[in-house]
Amino acid sequence: MTATDTKHQRFFAQNNVYLPHIAVIEKIIEETPGVRTFHFNFKDKKLQKEFSFESGQFGEYSVFGIGEAPFCISSSPTHRHHLEFVVQKVGRVTNALHRLGVGAEIGFRGPYGNSFPLDFLKGKNLVFVGGGIGLAPLRSLIWNVIDNRKKYKNIDIVYGARTPADLCFQYDLDAWGKDKSIKFVTTVDRGDESWKGKVGVVPKILEEIAPSAKNAVAIVCGPPIMIRFTFPVLTKLGFTPEQMLTTLEKRMKCGIGKCGRCNIGNIYVCRDGPVFSYAQIKNFVSSEY
Amino acid sequence: MANKKINKKDIAKLLNKWSQEFAVFVPSRESGVAEMAKWDGKDTGFLDWYRNTIVPPKANFLPQMEEMFRFQKDKEGYKIELPPDGAKQLIFGIRPCDARAMAIIDPNFKELYQDPYYLSRRNSAVLVGLGCMNPSESCFCTSMGVSPAESKDVDLMLTDIGDEFLIEEVSDKGRKLMAKTTGLKGATKNDEAKAKEAKKTAYDKVTRKLDTEGIADKLQASFDDEEFWEKIAAKCISCGICTLLCPTCYCFDINDELVRQQGTRFRNWDSCGFPVYTKMPMENPRAEKWRRVRQKVCHKFEFYPMNFDVIACTGCGRCIRLCPVNLDITQVLESVPAKARVRK
Repeated sequence: MTATDTKHQRFFAQNNVYLPHIAVIEKIIEETPGVRTFHFNFKDKKLQKEFSFESGQFGEYSVFGIGEAPFCISSSPTHRHHLEFVVQKVGRVTNALHRLGVGAEIGFRGPYGNSFPLDFLKGKNLVFVGGGIGLAPLRSLIWNVIDNRKKYKNIDIVYGARTPADLCFQYDLDAWGKDKSIKFVTTVDRGDESWKGKVGVVPKILEEIAPSAKNAVAIVCGPPIMIRFTFPVLTKLGFTPEQMLTTLEKRMKCGIGKCGRCNIGNIYVCRDGPVFSYAQIKNFVSSEY
Repeated sequence: MANKKINKKDIAKLLNKWSQEFAVFVPSRESGVAEMAKWDGKDTGFLDWYRNTIVPPKANFLPQMEEMFRFQKDKEGYKIELPPDGAKQLIFGIRPCDARAMAIIDPNFKELYQDPYYLSRRNSAVLVGLGCMNPSESCFCTSMGVSPAESKDVDLMLTDIGDEFLIEEVSDKGRKLMAKTTGLKGATKNDEAKAKEAKKTAYDKVTRKLDTEGIADKLQASFDDEEFWEKIAAKCISCGICTLLCPTCYCFDINDELVRQQGTRFRNWDSCGFPVYTKMPMENPRAEKWRRVRQKVCHKFEFYPMNFDVIACTGCGRCIRLCPVNLDITQVLESVPAKARVRK
């Protein structure tokens, strides 16, 4: 799953991997309080046409004068008219991004990292398990899969958040709820009067639904605590470590394996990940994930 | 081709000649800290006082702070401009340990993605090594495969043979430079013999030893031995000096600065010794000090060798000499339990 040289160098600005391309924000969606989706396009029309990426990859986004931060590309490569990323307001760069309006210019370099292994997923039953803003990398893959529906078997999606107000991508949830070709469940830790879906943490609901492990792959993205409790449930359901995929997150700066900080043992999350199988994670020389 | 030699009194002349083509750097204490600084055209006093610089010559290739690009906003939007290319550097007097350090970290900047800033400096530079005749007590280069007065990692190598230096051509780049450097005397058999003797004497002066046999396996086995790492890290004050001034430490941070609409993106040295290095809004995988000390040791002696097949240490001894609390890497490594005491 490691990225190859030529695959990515196509999109270097001025032949320098650290130089961002100028991109323009075209639309902003308030997902939940503190979480926004940004739609953007490159200013360079040629790049806009040629740019390509794979589900699971990320970019380094600049607010000029404030700095850079990594976010996954949350839109699907099958949706070509623009790119999307999702930002939770938690730090300096994310706060600055939230201050930007439509038409503002940002910097983008990427795509970086590996991606979800589509060849491996082809012909399999897919179980998507997402929590909160962790749906961002998953939805890129989910739309990718839906747009190539015939290549895959059954699709299960379990998505949860703390409260109904914390559910992101309502427009996706509506669409998936209506799609007869997928089994879709949403859950919240705590409901309210109007909530009609399930109540309970994601791993618990997953155990209730109990998707078969036969010819299946589970793709799990969400807060670390959810991931930690989901793997044992999947194991109980018969999933092997090779059948469980997730994305890892660390503090990053360069995004290309040079600056040092995102390592787990000899693995660099930015360069060797962010997509890993549970089998790989178990084999890390470091227990520091 | 026969080796050349130069009288020590003629070094200034030689450096001035090279200055016509290169920005020549020599050991200097001008700033208050020994570092490689621009040759001032006359002062060769360093030939007397110089053992090694405090700031390693990695700073000539990965500066402590460097501009990556500038950005400016006008009515058409943001414009990005690269800084001008720097001059070709000639580093005079680099020690074999520090030259090896450059060779060790090259692959980090070359593989998968090329780092244009580091590589353009590295590719255009000439390293002129100077044999280290008085290694410090803290030096253990010979345990790390480095000889204090011999090097394959430089372009030219100088060895002190009394009133003169023997000059050896180590690389093609060195050969080309020597072809352009006229007026030097050829070395005699006697000079060669003196140099050989000097190299051996220097080698034998390095008394501190470190046995690295099986060290990566031991570190891996003890990774989760919290008690061991806490004990090791107890006196560390997280000052970061052992990493910032390590010739094989290359970690960096990237930041922006904006002054009157003129913006700069720059990068600067960073250290795994600092808690903020890995801090994320919600969590920090290395909030505790012992985890950071463990990262430093394991990165050099376990993780880096896994990725690039070479230990990221040259035995230059800086981290031992400069540590304010005498945390000694050779002692740390010798105290790693031979067998795992805790299970992963």
